[in-house]
Amino acid sequence: MYEPAQVASSGGPPTDVALDAALVACLMEGDSQGALAEARRLKGTQASGERRVLQALERAMDGMSEKCTTEQFNLLEIMLAGRAATAVAHDLFPQDDVPGTKGTVVIATPEGDVHDLGKNLTRMVLAAKGFHVVDCGKDCPLPVMIRAVAQERAFALLVSGLISPMVVMVRQLRPLLREQGLAHVRVLAGGAALKQCTAEVLNVDYVASDAFDGARDLEAFLRERP
Amino acid sequence: MNGLERILAARAFQPVDRLPLLPQVFGHAAVARGVDLARYLNDGAELARCQAAAREAYDSDGVFALLDVNVETEALGSRLRYPTGNYPVVETYVLEHPDGVGALRLPDPRRAGRMPVALEAARLLRAHLGDRALVAGCVVGPMTLACQLLGAEKTLFAAMDEPAAFERLLEFATDVALAFGTAQVEAGAHLCVVFDPSASPAVVPAAFFREFLVPRQRRLGLGLKAAGALAHWLHIAGPVEPILPLYPGCGVDIANLDYCVDPVRARALVPELCFEGNVRPLAFVDSGPEAILQACRPLLDLGPGFILSSGCEIPLEARPECIRALAQARDQGSRP
Repeated sequence: MYEPAQVASSGGPPTDVALDAALVACLMEGDSQGALAEARRLKGTQASGERRVLQALERAMDGMSEKCTTEQFNLLEIMLAGRAATAVAHDLFPQDDVPGTKGTVVIATPEGDVHDLGKNLTRMVLAAKGFHVVDCGKDCPLPVMIRAVAQERAFALLVSGLISPMVVMVRQLRPLLREQGLAHVRVLAGGAALKQCTAEVLNVDYVASDAFDGARDLEAFLRERP
Repeated sequence: MNGLERILAARAFQPVDRLPLLPQVFGHAAVARGVDLARYLNDGAELARCQAAAREAYDSDGVFALLDVNVETEALGSRLRYPTGNYPVVETYVLEHPDGVGALRLPDPRRAGRMPVALEAARLLRAHLGDRALVAGCVVGPMTLACQLLGAEKTLFAAMDEPAAFERLLEFATDVALAFGTAQVEAGAHLCVVFDPSASPAVVPAAFFREFLVPRQRRLGLGLKAAGALAHWLHIAGPVEPILPLYPGCGVDIANLDYCVDPVRARALVPELCFEGNVRPLAFVDSGPEAILQACRPLLDLGPGFILSSGCEIPLEARPECIRALAQARDQGSRP
């Protein structure tokens, strides 16, 4: 029977560190029920439990990111981890008001493209890594994205495209942002069609090879921003 | 040699008079002739005319009696939307839940949805070309059809949460592909390309492919060959290296290589497999003929068992001079 890749756990006594590790392991294995149980245990141990659960979410995403760099990236395992992370975050913040400590980003699949698997996955990864993600959905008109960037004061706009006509759409983003006084917003592109192009061809700041690569670029941008 | 003979010789690693060439021109054949895409996708005679013209314009060794990847799911009850100038997309999936597959019945390819359009196109193209060039039909593979019936996200989660229901869905999808593919071969297609992009290692791990998809691909490939298909041609986009060694177990004869796969490494992994590929598809839009010639150069020396093509579908909006550059590259490579 096929099982998602297993992550080694310490197997030691339930110390604080072991609790953190157990949660991270459940998240990386995509075990939603196990992750929920571990998160609740961790949250109940001390006042800083909530913060440590959030840290565990980010560590799990970092762990998945490391896996991706070893050419083992596949949507299924990341989706399972993302689903588990979403379940934990929702349990912790039932109103879905997870603190976006790293700032706000807008994400969308442009009008004409209804494939949203990659976008949804990226949303889950970014949320688990501490970004506040405003999702404009699929088949989204460009003006709707630009409006969301302005209203939410987002520092980045991410677009995902699986089909080639999206290239023309994405090229229009930067001029549209500039028209609205949003030239400072970082624009990232990803998805099967868009990642065949260079950033120059797409007129964006960065073309991400996957969700984690995009997250790394956003984090680097925040670090280097004056 | 004619086009069909070249393709079959490549499949058998036999000598060819020149490198076989089969650009993956599908809907672009309509765009290039100024034909409305929706008409092309709904009229077998129009599709056949456009494909025949594209074969001549690009000096290809074959044609594709191929509509789009939503023919099967539409025939089974999914509702499609036809955006102007682009391929249709699924608006409502026929299945809400994997268990719903029990209520679906195998479609009759002579009547269901646009399946008859594909059959008509195959029949007309074969009548026009005979055995002078390859007439390729198309079915979507089991994993992709499962995703097209239920939605990709639900399907992937079902594989983990409800494996028994997921396997029933996969079995049904394989039955559909076999029925539709058999009808295409009976109508005149020399073979059916099995498109299964959702089976890519970019989507599911190699272990998943081995457990769930190898048996279905094998059943499908053997079934199509028993119906008269000349080869099992598997088309999976993306970084397929981890699953290439599993292809012989699927009974695959010809495998597509996307632009991100190194053909030399692929050949080393599976020396007995005929490959086709693998110029970057968007290069036909965002570059010029010189860039295509350059991209083809390393592909011209791969030896027997190779068909020159794009890594995946050539986009609708491709520049015709870029596609023509493929034949130019082939001719340069064929010079003594």
